[in-house]
Amino acid sequence: MNYDPDKVWPSGLTLREAEELHRHIIDGTRVFGFFALLAHILAYFYSPWLG
Amino acid sequence: MSRISQTAIRTLVSIGPRFLPFADVATPDLPLGRLLRLSLFQVSVGMALVLMVGTLNRVMIVELEVPASLVAVMISLPLVFAPFRALIGFRSDVHRSALGWRRVPFIWRGTMLQFGGFAVMPFALLVLAGQGESGHLPVWIGQLGAGIAFLLVGAGLHMVQTVGLALATDLAPPQDQPKVVGLMYVMLLVGMIVSALVFGYALVDFTPGRLIQVIQGAAVVTVVLNVTAMWKQETRDRSRAAAPEHEATFRDAWDEFISGRNARLRLLAIGLGTMGFGMSDVLLEPYGGQVLAFDVASTTKLTATLALGGLIGFVFASKVLARGFDPFRMAAAGVLTGIPAFLAIIAAAPLHSALLFVAGTFLVGVGGGLFSHGTLTATMTLAPRERTGLALGTWGAVQATAAGLGMALGGVVRDIVLMSPLAAGTGPAVPYIIVYAIEIALLAATLLAMLPLFGIRPSDAVTAIAKAAPLQGGIARLPDGRRASS
Repeated sequence: MNYDPDKVWPSGLTLREAEELHRHIIDGTRVFGFFALLAHILAYFYSPWLG
Repeated sequence: MSRISQTAIRTLVSIGPRFLPFADVATPDLPLGRLLRLSLFQVSVGMALVLMVGTLNRVMIVELEVPASLVAVMISLPLVFAPFRALIGFRSDVHRSALGWRRVPFIWRGTMLQFGGFAVMPFALLVLAGQGESGHLPVWIGQLGAGIAFLLVGAGLHMVQTVGLALATDLAPPQDQPKVVGLMYVMLLVGMIVSALVFGYALVDFTPGRLIQVIQGAAVVTVVLNVTAMWKQETRDRSRAAAPEHEATFRDAWDEFISGRNARLRLLAIGLGTMGFGMSDVLLEPYGGQVLAFDVASTTKLTATLALGGLIGFVFASKVLARGFDPFRMAAAGVLTGIPAFLAIIAAAPLHSALLFVAGTFLVGVGGGLFSHGTLTATMTLAPRERTGLALGTWGAVQATAAGLGMALGGVVRDIVLMSPLAAGTGPAVPYIIVYAIEIALLAATLLAMLPLFGIRPSDAVTAIAKAAPLQGGIARLPDGRRASS
């Protein structure tokens, strides 16, 4: 396999591509976290737990 | 493998496509399996529409006893995002990504919003209805929660549908676009019909727990369908990723788009026609029940008749448009089917003819199918290659806004006439007939607006863009489907 300084292994993506994918994962986690928090707050209003 | 099994497999492969109406869509670039997979995003959009407008509409009013006016406000919230479809489409056109994607990031974001909305929605609805321990809380908490949930789903479905259609246009060769449009509409209908049946069955014995299961189940199904739809669909364009950035603003792109030949007239025709066909959507069933004494089962069959008409319209339009027929003439044929159809529905009241009413409803479906197919195909084929998202976003914005306004206007006009002293003693049919007459007038106006559009070719629509090309570095599509850098 030829060594390409722009690519990161084992994915074979360039650094910019890998960073972009990583950013999607971080953003996705934050957004899903926000939805989970909102759903839990509303679920608590409907039926409080640990009461 | 033995020779017998090889022969059997070859025979099965050759027979299979003959029984699928869209099998001839397959091209070496875009095989049928991949196209069917892509169209799954329309199934998720259909499911979201049915869940909000149909199932939850009833559940909120009947089971959760939320006031009907509040329900109407909640259901119409997603409409707020309809005009932003043009902006979403444009953003996906100019999206810069190291991975060379334009559409996939937007479909993913739309999917997240749809998922989030459905994940929050059941609890928000239960709090809105004051169920469980939430009865003593201020009412605004439930209203805010439900508002956020409906807005999220609305934003998500508009984003997924706009960018999904733009991706389908990117992938399909120009000569196959009419069939792709047909397939997308059929899958939307399939999504709506199947999910309506499944939701109806799942909510027969209503409990709050079951409501949570059904809506959050829909959230998971949305993610599965959309991820399956976009998986390995968009090719990675490294040249786009490496191209130098140019500052194309929405305003520049919009000015270019709207200065295309007859662009405003095209949008006006789409808006008027969609409103003309859509105003009576929610009035056909009560008209059948109140004026022609249909029972509940029969009125439900009316909706099925309308959908069947639409399906036949889509399939017929796909076949004819694929042979190169002018899409605006096809849309005009839809309008010309719609006008006598509404006349038949009006005539059904004095003649007490259920048959005339059902035939009229069926023809409204056929006409609506031909009109929608014709206008979307025209939008796709006239869209400049680098502005597909903007063109389809604008189509979606006009179409969704007109459909929503038309539906609301239909109900409002009927109620105003019903309450007016002039209508006293004129019988139950009059308010409906006035709405149908307005629809006929709108369809006649649509036909007039479309007359100058007959025979427009892609080269006419891109003239203005070609002139402005030095600013944008745009790529226009020639009439024969080749691309020309301008």
